[in-house]
Amino acid sequence: MTARQGIGIDREENIMFKALRRAADRRRYADSRYGWLFQPYTGDEMAAVACRATEPADRHGEPIAIAAVRLSGDRVLTSESLDLHVRRPAGLTQETVCRHGLRGIDLDDGDPLDDALERFLDFVGNRPLVGWHLEDELALLNRGLRPRFGFDLPNAAVDVAPLYQRRQRYRHPQLEGRPRFEEAAERLDVPVMGRHSALGDAVTTALMYLRLVRDDTARRRSS
Amino acid sequence: MVDVDLSQLPFSLLDDAGRARVSGSLDLVYFGRGEIILEAGQAGENVFLIHKGEVAELDVTQPGEPERIGHYTAGDLFGAISILHGQSRYRFCAEQETLCYLLPRGEFLALCDDYSAFAESFRRNLAHKTRLLAAQRASGGTAMAGAMLARTRECMRRPHLLARTATITEAVATLDAQHVDSLLVEGESGAGMVTKTDLLNALVLEKWPQNAPVRSIANFALVTARPDQYLFEALVAMTRHRVERIVVMEDATPVGVVELTDALSHFSSRSHVVSLRVEQADDLASLSEASRLMPDLVRGLMAQGAKPRFVMGLLAALNGRIIGKTWDLLVDERYHGASCLMVMGSEGRGEQVLKTDQDNGLILEDDLAWPERETRMRAFSDALLELGYPPCPGGIMVSNPQWIGGETQWRERIETWARRSDADSLMNLAILLDAQAMAGNPALLARLRDALFERCAGDEILLSHFARPVLRFSTPLTLFGSLKKPQHGIDIKKGGIFPVVHGVRVMALERNITVTSTLERLDALVADGRLEARFAEDLGEALSLFTELRLKQQLERLDGKEGEPDRVVVQELSSLERDLLREALHIVKDFKQRLTHRYHLEYA
Repeated sequence: MTARQGIGIDREENIMFKALRRAADRRRYADSRYGWLFQPYTGDEMAAVACRATEPADRHGEPIAIAAVRLSGDRVLTSESLDLHVRRPAGLTQETVCRHGLRGIDLDDGDPLDDALERFLDFVGNRPLVGWHLEDELALLNRGLRPRFGFDLPNAAVDVAPLYQRRQRYRHPQLEGRPRFEEAAERLDVPVMGRHSALGDAVTTALMYLRLVRDDTARRRSS
Repeated sequence: MVDVDLSQLPFSLLDDAGRARVSGSLDLVYFGRGEIILEAGQAGENVFLIHKGEVAELDVTQPGEPERIGHYTAGDLFGAISILHGQSRYRFCAEQETLCYLLPRGEFLALCDDYSAFAESFRRNLAHKTRLLAAQRASGGTAMAGAMLARTRECMRRPHLLARTATITEAVATLDAQHVDSLLVEGESGAGMVTKTDLLNALVLEKWPQNAPVRSIANFALVTARPDQYLFEALVAMTRHRVERIVVMEDATPVGVVELTDALSHFSSRSHVVSLRVEQADDLASLSEASRLMPDLVRGLMAQGAKPRFVMGLLAALNGRIIGKTWDLLVDERYHGASCLMVMGSEGRGEQVLKTDQDNGLILEDDLAWPERETRMRAFSDALLELGYPPCPGGIMVSNPQWIGGETQWRERIETWARRSDADSLMNLAILLDAQAMAGNPALLARLRDALFERCAGDEILLSHFARPVLRFSTPLTLFGSLKKPQHGIDIKKGGIFPVVHGVRVMALERNITVTSTLERLDALVADGRLEARFAEDLGEALSLFTELRLKQQLERLDGKEGEPDRVVVQELSSLERDLLREALHIVKDFKQRLTHRYHLEYA
């Protein structure tokens, strides 16, 4: 388990805490309408997730756009993607507007956050989730979910960023630093889709994931 | 949702709702290098649109190494034909990591049902596709493209239709009263045409009585066009059939007549200016001035989107007139009847677009005494050089005594060449086969050609040797996109033009076909039953496409751009042009296979 050696005590406690919380959530909601989300997933699909928030990388941001796309085998099922705009949240500031190119008026005909989250849950189901710095996306979504539905997303999670970082370290041990999304896409020769939209990011993330997994299996096969 | 450019063919044949259906049903899929995307014989489940990467199309039905027959790159589409045919004929394999959009079979077929133009585009042959390309270029093209968009109905004159019973006298009276050059006359099955020349010949030469019914001298094999066809198509038809007017038909009734001069002036007053200048020139200096206008004329016509077939026809005629004029100016008239100046190679076929090397020769009557011939011929070659025709590097010109000879001497040469069958001799035969009389007495060349056919047409072994060079250059089907250095491009002359021209030439020799242009040879081969009309049409279109691409490069070289004129850089083409080029090269490959089979080239 070399991958875990670098993880600090904080992180370890965090993981433990989450595991406990998930066990509690499962027990509490097993018989509710969302019970199936807590079942282990047996299919071969995954769901790539990307969000836009009022305050990115902040503990108080709210989602303004939620997008997801399912992966099946080598395919990204873009034809059945989910692309939600959330109705103007309280935390929408001038700065956010500039950053995402989304104005309040664009969000007025969006879904209320409750509906958006419900549709999101129905769309991803209990599939494993894939994302770029997925922790941040999950934190954002869970902040919305817990007060409304009472639980955090119980899905298995695959973060593409550390996968990419591991590949980069393997190939270029001298490289350091937190990888950037666009740069990773370019290195992996994956086109950046739908610039600056959440769905575009989700599709790009899905493609990066497929690339990384393919590289991995190819390497394992050759060694 | 996905970013995909649907503004290109075939998606441009859909409306916005149709395009929304496409982009709404696309999935994305990754293929690793070497992965088989679609196996031969497999049922087509998706249409693939390449976003990034390269895909090879392989023929695995032949024994041995799978043969590559196609190459697809970003923006290209494949798999549609497999769906329409039920299964894939070839194997599609990712050459590099490839990212494709998938349009599922069901949605594709639904779109085909709802949009007939979209469905048609997958069933069309090359000729249709080039027409689409022309239309697309014309619509998005230069300001001058307006002239190219003209339809025949905008340029036609009212037809003058005579009753079945009309006599020659009535016909002449109508011509005079209406100030026209031609009339239509009703016949048993549709209308026929009578021109002033027909009437003159009938009355003066054939001594028809003036009260004879005019329909007995009319020509009922009409060259026709529809009113909604592009005017340049009418022009091409006229050039190809060597007629000066075309009848516009709507539902089997003639609604108008397009005269060649009207059509020409509709396009370009410049072509008129140049030919007028050539005709009026009475010394070498003014001839040279007229000939200097030609590159501009070509550029102008190309900018208007004129088909290279038409441009070539016009230029061949103009070059012919210039050479003929030069000859008339330099050679004493008393030798005109006893000698024949022939131009050969591409000039003989009328297929050179900008001025090419002097490829010419001279046939003399056996007993002609012409003491100062050598100096005159040298002067003639110098004059052509002056006019901008560079000397032939192989010395195939009248200043070289080897390309001058009496009729007997020429026949002996043919015999020697045919017997030797080495590379040089075969090349000489090929060159001579394309010869066309430019000045002097054309009967001398006609007799020589008969002798050539008599010696060679039935000689299977010679034909086989003669056909072999067709296979010398491989068809560059695989070079799309995957070149290490894209600037090296595809050699369009070796890979495309040469096999078609030479292959058709071999067949023409075998079948005693005396016309020299490749397109006319194709028509003659169809009439002869040697080729199916559709295949011949495709070959002709393929050749036109190559010529056009090459001509564009030549014009760019004139503008000072670096590079080789025969190299086409695939990356510089639009995806539709690439598609056409690929298809054209496929046709060349098919043609080579037929030739291999027919002339037993497999036994090298």
